[in-house]
Order: sequence, then structure tokens, then C-alpha cells
Amino acid sequence: MANSFDQTLDVKGAKCPMPLVKSRKAIADLTVGQVLKVVATDRGSVADFQGWAKTAKNVELVAQETEQEGGQDLYVHYLKRTS
Amino acid sequence: MTLIEGQTGIAEFTANELYARILDNEAIFILDVRNEDEFKRSPIEGQSNLTAVNIPYFEFLEDEDGSVARVPADREIMVVCAKEGSSQYVAELLAGHGYNARYLQGGFTSWGNFYDVRDVVNAAWGRIVQIARPARGDLSFAVISDGKMALIDPMRHTEVYLNLAAEAGATMTHLLDTHVHADHISGGPALATITGATYYVHAYDAIHPIDMLPATIAYTSLEDGQQFQVGQTTITVAWFPGHTLGQVNYRVDTPDGRSALFTGDGIFLRSFGRPDLGGKGEAWTPILYRSLTERLPKIVNDDTLILPAHFSTLDEGTAEGIFAAPYSEVRAHNDALQPRSEEEFTAYVLSHLPVFPPEYVEIKRVNIGLVEACDGKANELELGKNICALAG
Repeated sequence: MANSFDQTLDVKGAKCPMPLVKSRKAIADLTVGQVLKVVATDRGSVADFQGWAKTAKNVELVAQETEQEGGQDLYVHYLKRTS
Repeated sequence: MTLIEGQTGIAEFTANELYARILDNEAIFILDVRNEDEFKRSPIEGQSNLTAVNIPYFEFLEDEDGSVARVPADREIMVVCAKEGSSQYVAELLAGHGYNARYLQGGFTSWGNFYDVRDVVNAAWGRIVQIARPARGDLSFAVISDGKMALIDPMRHTEVYLNLAAEAGATMTHLLDTHVHADHISGGPALATITGATYYVHAYDAIHPIDMLPATIAYTSLEDGQQFQVGQTTITVAWFPGHTLGQVNYRVDTPDGRSALFTGDGIFLRSFGRPDLGGKGEAWTPILYRSLTERLPKIVNDDTLILPAHFSTLDEGTAEGIFAAPYSEVRAHNDALQPRSEEEFTAYVLSHLPVFPPEYVEIKRVNIGLVEACDGKANELELGKNICALAG
């Protein structure tokens, strides 16, 4: 089942810590309950988003997926603003 | 966020500097900003004066003041992350709070791929050189004599060995793996392609023990007792099954009447190679017992220098970072070499097996050519320290 989302953030090519820094900013622009889809190429983002979601008070990690695009792996994270 | 993407005034430190300070047992404070899982899986290990604390970088993002307050302000902070970016970010942030902070150039990857090269023996006939990867506890060696060079267990960063050969003015003639490694990717086949030297490994190790599939790499098999001339030295193959079925030791005899034994994952300085990584621990343990009790005494004397493929902790080496000791010393300090019956030995082994890292099955596939690993995949497979020895 495809995950629903309200906004998309493309951080392909961005290196740590930028995917998280930009996601944090983008989450702040959502209203409570909305979902941000983040598309990253950094494999390290998978574990880092899990850790961040546990640390951050207003973020819930709804789902994570891996996709293929032109031979490169994409790491997709769905983040909900909870407060 | 120009701080991150542009140039900053924050100083770096290199893996080379870190290792030198660890060997000197200087007081070092590592702030590791990777996530908790990565930190637990592969911490930076040093000696007694190294302190490593894990505060993931995203905790600094969420609670800057609270996270900064957890870092001691009275000493230099060496910040480490996976690939450099986040450690640079945190070091910058700490500097803004008045801290003296630097970050590791190239991140943990550069620490994992850092090589330390130093002479073990330097004599009239030639040299034995230790090429270590300290973060992994991996050791390889070169025997250099009269412009010829043999490598024992070379690792995948071939430039390290090519540079050593160039500096020594030597030609690589023999690429000798003690066995097909499970914990790291061999540089032997790649060096054979580059230099034309022959890559040797025992044929028993050229079949993947779990997949039961044969190697696709080019190799030349070894025979027990086979000899090679390398300059003025003679290298003798001694089959030593147990850790793998095709494990061999290489004994080098030098013109001054001395000998050294490259033991691979046979015996280490304080332990020995686990017999379960082929998935056949119960069947291979008695074979290992016979290698230790019957084969080993025939190929060493008290003065034979033991040069293993791994260490588990830095204190196994000398203050200069040399991981070698005469057999008399190894026998006295290696719990694995204490007298035991076969039943006692088997019970000891089977009760001291550490976790079986799942990636070790895949690394063996890479080493015999069943799958390929690009640099990124190789870095991931090799993350963390080897777990080839029995647990102490």
C-alpha cells in the first residue's frame, strides 16, 4: 500500500547531516498531523532518521522504503508532525 | 547552513594522528556523533586513556544546549561521525560554545581504512614489514629480500602494498593468503592482476563452505611442505586446518638462522582462530585440535617469531604497535595453548564462540569471486573489528 503524504523533500545527493537538517526545517512548515516524504540517497539516513524520530518530540517516523531509480538506491522516509 | 557546505575554520585531525596518540596512550576524548547502533557495532577503541562518548548529531540538532552540556569543557574534543559531515557540524557548534574541538577527516571510514606500516625485522638479509589496519585488528606482512617481495594476507587497499614495493625498490613475486578470509576482503587477487605476481591459496578454501560453490578467481593452490625462495629467505607452507580446511601457516627461514611463522588465523598472540566460521564448528574443532597439538610443535622452536593475521586488543602488541612475539612467550600467555585433552578442548571452544557476524558469509563469497563488492559495499561489509578469535 502506498504511503500518503502532504509534502515532498528531495535531499538526493545531500550528505550527512543535511538530510536531517533540511527535514527538520520542512517539518516545522507542516501543520500538525501532516506527513513529509523525504527522498535521500545516503544509506546512513535509514538508521539516522530512526534515531532522530526517537529523539525529536514532534516527529513520528511513519514508514521507510527503499526504491530504485536509474540504478541508484533511494531511501524514502515518511515523517509525521505530531505536535 | 553555509557553515557546513562552505569552508570552516574548524581544524581536522587524521586517522594517522589519532593512531599515534592512541599508541602513546595519551588522554583522548572522542565524541562519537554517529547513531547508537553504529557506535555500539564499531566504536573507536584505544588504550586506557581513551574515553569515547556517544551523542548522536541529531541530539545536538534537537537540544543544542543540553547536548553541549554533556561534553566536558576542560579538554580537547575529537569529534567523529560516519563520513565527516556531521562531525564537522558538531565541532563547529562546540567551537561556538567556546570548546576546543576538531573532527576526523574522512570520518569513521577513514579510520577503518587507515593502514599503519612499520618494520618488525630489519636485517642484513632484508626486512619483515607489518602492514596493519588498527581499527579492524587486521595484520598483513611483507618479506623483502634482494629486491623481491612476498606479501602475506594483503588487504584490499592495493596502493598501500604498491607504495611499499616502490619505496623498497622491490618486485612482488608471491601473494600468499593463509586462508580465504571471512572478516575482510583480500587484496591478493587484485594485486596479482596489477603486478603479475602469483596469488596462492589452498584449494580447500576455494570452495565456499556454506554455498558449496567453487571459486571463480584465478589462484594457484598450495601443498603442505611446498617451498618458495624470496631473495635470501625460504618460505615453507605448513597446512594448518581448523579455522578453515585450507588454512596454512608460512614459515620463513632467514640466512641468520632465525625463523618467523605467519600464522594467519591459526594461533594469535593470545587466542586462536575460531573453527565455526565455515558453519561446521563441531566437525572442524577436532581438526583444529590436531593442528595445534601435532602440527604446530613441528614447525616452531622457542625463538620462532609468531606473526598472526589479527589482534583483538592493542595491548597484545608492543608500545610501538608491533604484533609479534617469540613462540616461547606466546605459549606461556596464550590460553588456547594450555594442555588440554581433545574433549576438554572441544568443550572450551564450543563454549567460547562469539557471535557469528552474518556478513562473514558474504565476505567469503567476495574473496573467491562469487559476488562483487564496490568500494561502498566493501566498507560496509568490513565495518568494525574482526571477530575471528575465540572470546576470552
